[in-house]
Amino acid sequence: MAATGAGKTMDKEKKYDRQLRLWGDHGQAALEASRVCLVNVTATGTETLKNLILPGIGWFTIIDGGKVTGEDVGNNFFLERDSIGKSRAEVATECLLELNSDVRGDFIDENPEHLLEANPEFFRSFSCVIAAQMPERTLLSLASVLWNYGIPLLVCRSYGLIGYMRVVVKEHTVIESHPDNAHSDLRLDRPFPALAAYVDAVDMDSLSKKDHSHTPFPVILLKNLIQWRKEHEGNMPKNYKEKGVFKEMVRKGMWENEEGPGEPEENFEEAIRHTNTALVPTRIPSEIQTLFEDEGCRNLNAESSDFFVMTKALKEFAENEGKGALPVRGAIPDMFADSERYIQLQNIYRDQAKQDASVVASRVTQILSSIGRPSHCISEEAIRLFCRNAAFLRVVRTRSLEEEYNPEKACVNEMGVQLENPDSEITLYIMLRAVDKFQQQYGRYPGYYDDQVEADIPKLKACMCGLLQEWSLSPYIKDEYVHEMCRYGGSELHSVAAFMGGAAAQEVIKLVTKQFVPFNNTYIYNAMNSSSATYTL
Amino acid sequence: MANQVDEPMMVDGRVDSPGGSWPDRWNHVKKMLERAGPFAHPDFEPSPETIQFMLEVCKILVIGAGGLGCELLKDLALMGFRNIHVIDMDKIDVSNLNRQFLFRPKDVGKPKAETAAEFVNTRVPGCRVTPHYAKIQDFDGEFYRQFHIIVCGLDSILARRWMNGMVLSLINYEEDGSVDQSSIIPLIDGGTEGFKGNARVILPGITACMDCTLELYPPQVTYPMCTIAHTPRLPEHCIEWVRILLWPQEKPFGDNGKPREEREDIGIDGDDPAHVKWIYDKALERAEKYGISGVTYRLTQGVVKHIIPAVASTNAVIAASCATEVFKIATSCCNPLNNYMVFNDTEGLYTYTFEAEKKEDCLACSQVPQKFTFAPSAKLKDVIQYLCDNAATQMKAPGVTAIVDGRNKTLYMQTVESIEKRTRDNLTKTLEELGLADGQELVVADSTTPQSVIFKLNLSP
Amino acid sequence: MIKLFSLKQQKKDGEVGGQKTGTKRASAAQLRITKDINELQLPKTCQTEFPDPDDLLNFKLIIMPDEGFYKGGRFVFSFKVGQGYPHEPPKVKCETMVYHPNIDLEGNVCLNILREDWKPVLTINSIIYGLQYLFLEPNPDDPLNKDAAEVLRSNRRLFEQNVSKSMRGGYVGSTYFERCLVK
Repeated sequence: MAATGAGKTMDKEKKYDRQLRLWGDHGQAALEASRVCLVNVTATGTETLKNLILPGIGWFTIIDGGKVTGEDVGNNFFLERDSIGKSRAEVATECLLELNSDVRGDFIDENPEHLLEANPEFFRSFSCVIAAQMPERTLLSLASVLWNYGIPLLVCRSYGLIGYMRVVVKEHTVIESHPDNAHSDLRLDRPFPALAAYVDAVDMDSLSKKDHSHTPFPVILLKNLIQWRKEHEGNMPKNYKEKGVFKEMVRKGMWENEEGPGEPEENFEEAIRHTNTALVPTRIPSEIQTLFEDEGCRNLNAESSDFFVMTKALKEFAENEGKGALPVRGAIPDMFADSERYIQLQNIYRDQAKQDASVVASRVTQILSSIGRPSHCISEEAIRLFCRNAAFLRVVRTRSLEEEYNPEKACVNEMGVQLENPDSEITLYIMLRAVDKFQQQYGRYPGYYDDQVEADIPKLKACMCGLLQEWSLSPYIKDEYVHEMCRYGGSELHSVAAFMGGAAAQEVIKLVTKQFVPFNNTYIYNAMNSSSATYTL
Repeated sequence: MANQVDEPMMVDGRVDSPGGSWPDRWNHVKKMLERAGPFAHPDFEPSPETIQFMLEVCKILVIGAGGLGCELLKDLALMGFRNIHVIDMDKIDVSNLNRQFLFRPKDVGKPKAETAAEFVNTRVPGCRVTPHYAKIQDFDGEFYRQFHIIVCGLDSILARRWMNGMVLSLINYEEDGSVDQSSIIPLIDGGTEGFKGNARVILPGITACMDCTLELYPPQVTYPMCTIAHTPRLPEHCIEWVRILLWPQEKPFGDNGKPREEREDIGIDGDDPAHVKWIYDKALERAEKYGISGVTYRLTQGVVKHIIPAVASTNAVIAASCATEVFKIATSCCNPLNNYMVFNDTEGLYTYTFEAEKKEDCLACSQVPQKFTFAPSAKLKDVIQYLCDNAATQMKAPGVTAIVDGRNKTLYMQTVESIEKRTRDNLTKTLEELGLADGQELVVADSTTPQSVIFKLNLSP
Repeated sequence: MIKLFSLKQQKKDGEVGGQKTGTKRASAAQLRITKDINELQLPKTCQTEFPDPDDLLNFKLIIMPDEGFYKGGRFVFSFKVGQGYPHEPPKVKCETMVYHPNIDLEGNVCLNILREDWKPVLTINSIIYGLQYLFLEPNPDDPLNKDAAEVLRSNRRLFEQNVSKSMRGGYVGSTYFERCLVK
């Protein structure tokens, strides 16, 4: 049953170079240690796996009890004409294994429904399970099994020009969320002693012209700020007007050329540009505040994850040594400055970051022994990484599928608000749910047969109204959408499947590398106008 | 470039015809094409003929057989396009294999276009991808004119702008200056960088073109020369110092036996590990001198080769968006994207769709060539005189250039002394003598217009 | 919405189209550089030289300062404008060996608009003015030639002497400069 990719391993460093620049060697190691399961060989499913095999997951398993049909080969790149009539799982596994000899995979030629009944334990070994175009009933039972095991599930499907994805994960923690535009952490409003001492030692007036024009901007800003606070009862420039006055004060420190006004000093201009962001008071981001109050942080026990042990230590740090702030991040942006003083300044921040991290580390040690775990089971390096990312930590907990599908617990309000826009993507979500209802009732998708498209429209509309009624929502969805769904007739267009396969693979990568942030929890892609939306349902 | 003569087409739906098809093959696509839809383009008529058009007539050109190109070829082939050409000038590298899924380790070193075409043609029976292992600049308007739709999967702004200029030059204008719509070749463009990407639809002459939105493509990161030379702070500064300043001085690998001055300057080859290693070692030395940390081999390679991170998933998403647009435009089964979509899945999954605006003064697409008529015996000075005297132009000192025999030619430019001297003789030559043909475009620059203006020369005796 | 695909039934193999454009359209870079060159407003101390008048993308600029340290000198710069213009700046090098804080002995020039501060609205004229300014106001604080900058900062007289020495042709320190005086 097992087919294993053979062939010698080529230089992974070279092969994976373009992605190692995104998630690093440790991200790659996590990916290579992962085991991913795909339920159902559809175009969306195999495209997702393709985009996971290429970057090098460790292992995949495909479950599908069906035989390849002509229609399947028509939209799926990993099935071949000669394979019509053969096991879908087997053929897809063979074609997919060709993609990367470092990835191994196998298949189970069995109906997932049977497997779920006979051997639910089987699913326990996976890092993540992908369910492609699964009928509602089987999907719900798979979701419940995985929910109990704490294994993330990604539901994905392509339907005509619509894509749907749902992440189901009890708890997913992220240290490296890689924010796109994070402000730097300069602490000018509350300089730590080494920074204060460094800035204090600089006497701007006695500098040479060259040194004056190459003094790093944080030094300029901090000096002005100290002066300002002396004159303003210790307060920072608060509003727009005061900030304007402050900028003017900075500008006055600029030196002019002996020959008259020449080029203004660039470091001062940089200081003025950075005034607004640098004057934002250092505070703990609200997400992190919430995290400190999280149950995972409050109820630590021997079973707690490293993430929450470190979060708890972080919280203690903030309340004690940090005096209400997180550890200093340590990185500073590039700035107009001479090498020597830039490096000095950089080292001051770095040393402080190191010092803060080691305080957190000793708190981690204490916490670990208090919950009965070996006191050094979390490495210094892991703690330093955690501290560097302290402002960007994330916890994602989605609702279970069971809750979403229970009319009592459904997010009716959210749907109601979204429905106020008649062309909102939420309409497409509701239509997909209606399609499933139709499918359960009639055993086929609406519009599956050419000669029943028209006849299925009122039937699908009835299913939709039934759903809206269950949620007590007013039945206002344009008839056009009902018609369009019947037009699709359950078709899976390859280009829509390929889009969803790309997006789904990326979510799996987030889940297994624990880097970047998965969406929470429902994603709708509307290929009609190339738009999309995320809802928490 | 000779175009291949198309083989007689297989009729779709025939069971087991060689290279042909099998029952139910196009079921998924046919549902979209043979049924009416409330969101379809007003011109859409559900019909079995539409898929025949896709399978047998519609000709698509894919530019690039890399990360996006491989995906595009697969996507288009499975949507029912068979008549596809692909152009790529590159060969396969090991670092392509993490996403360019049509290539295997054994293919490293082979041309991308040929390998990709062969794979798709084998896997998708009946599909005929024609590869061109060449540069886009190797082909002329006659070649590009044969396609219904062009899709770009490129990583270079320069190449994008070239293609943009090409499709714009293929537009014919009506007498009233409006675009002859049958001359429009839609250009669909995708781009990715890490987890970000964008897809857009350009209807040349109608909607915003590549040059209208140039500010959406940020220029390459550069560092001030004096920082690189004397005040490095970042590891990148150290690497750039070696690359820009030290390498041309030391001329390593030129001929090590000879003294420095006599050595040949072998350009940096980012794919030669010995070159990258040399740069890395020197950059590391410099970094240590200044106390800068973070110079690594990987970073060195990234800076030297301007490497853009890339991953399979983003390429899949963006190429798929482009393929969907090709499908929509070719069949009218749904309205096309209007006209720009950005994608980012670093934090959650995010798309943003907006209508990029056509720029009134766009250098590339606002150029509706103005027509003027002269006899072949007319002299260049007559043309210049006309530009100055004509009430509609009233120019002061027009400079005129043209492309003659594929080369740029300065016909006359009086504002630059050295050029004026050497082009003065042209004034008394006839247009025929100057090699100007009927339909020739003249580029005219003058202080009275905000940018160069194109005139189309109508030669009639 | 425009009606694009009446094209639909149209086969596109040569037999359609009919009208030949025959000629290639000039590129956006070409259109822009034609404009830039035609509209050059040179300061009286500058001249351009086009080795090939048909090639507006490659030319030389000669600066002959009439005041300042470099009065009487003749400095040649090469301009290479790429197809990326004006999205990317032209490549400019100084072909005359010059003793100057912002130009190194290999001919690299430190001028912000040539690299990090380039914007497509700038023109060839902007660069020429920038270069001319470098000869009037050499900037010792952000140097490429550190030795020259050091001298300019500490001893303007010596700097002045060194500049004249280099322009007359001779050694400054251990570096030999070719003569570059106009007369």
